[in-house]
Amino acid sequence: MSISILICDDSSFARKQVLKALPSDWQTNVFQATNGSEAVQMIPEKNIELLFLDLTMPIMDGYEVLDHLKKTDTNCFVIVISGDIQPDAVERVKKLGAIGFIKKPVNKEEIETLLVEFGLLVRQPL
Amino acid sequence: MSTSELSEDYRDCFQEITNVAMGQAADKLARFLDVFILLPVPNVNMLQPSELAMALSAVNHDESVSAVCQGFIGSGIAGEAMLIFNDSTFQEIADLMNADSDDSNQLELEILMDTANILIGTFLTGLAEQLEVRYSLGQPSVLGRHVNIEDLIKINEKRWKQTLAIEINYKIEGSNINCDLLILFTDDSLNILKQKADYLLE
Repeated sequence: MSISILICDDSSFARKQVLKALPSDWQTNVFQATNGSEAVQMIPEKNIELLFLDLTMPIMDGYEVLDHLKKTDTNCFVIVISGDIQPDAVERVKKLGAIGFIKKPVNKEEIETLLVEFGLLVRQPL
Repeated sequence: MSTSELSEDYRDCFQEITNVAMGQAADKLARFLDVFILLPVPNVNMLQPSELAMALSAVNHDESVSAVCQGFIGSGIAGEAMLIFNDSTFQEIADLMNADSDDSNQLELEILMDTANILIGTFLTGLAEQLEVRYSLGQPSVLGRHVNIEDLIKINEKRWKQTLAIEINYKIEGSNINCDLLILFTDDSLNILKQKADYLLE
């Protein structure tokens, strides 16, 4: 069964980097959004279960998205992928409900570790 | 070859690389001053020298400014980084640093140089890492103190042709501290930068 995921970043280059870093054997239905406002619209529409979220974006930034999801009680895992690596930024997004924070440029192992940790990717023991 | 155009793919790629490098620089400064820095969406564009002053969004054009610049060169890439402050922000930064001095002139200079070292140094290192290039940094030098921004740019614009410019406006949360980091690449650097971007865009 595949999981519906949304990659939200204003940069198409950054979205591609996230796509490339996803586990190759992971069954997904991938959607993309270029700002937070698009993302909050798509999450209920497409039944998104996991959101990869950038913080610094025009129109509606990542903090506002997290805040919106929290206020609307939306059931969607969020992994923040950001270049803003200030300790405060990490703390703020975790408080707003993000399950993980991955610093840019993204790396495959970090994503996989988080996915396994939250049961979003099941690795069969060999 | 005309460099007046920058395709959207290149612009987007340079902007994303900028995002990462500016975040690393902000992190350093945030830890140093124990503050939270608000990060903007950076501006990455081809600019004419005459457009430089307008591109500086953080700077209040009615106030005097001070600026530091630092050159970099290597791997076929060269350019200059500038950090520009409104003079009215120095006292607030001094307070954050718990810095006090009878010699306010000397104190301002130290603040200017310390902040420039952190922001420019970290930003350029982050950029080089991502592009997988090496360049060396020149000595930072004061470009002007207590001057009008238009004059500052005018004195220096002769050195620039149309150029790839990166502008980042750093703001410190809960304060009026606001500065502009401007990175200008030489015309000749653009082809190498595009080659490096091609590699990343593959």
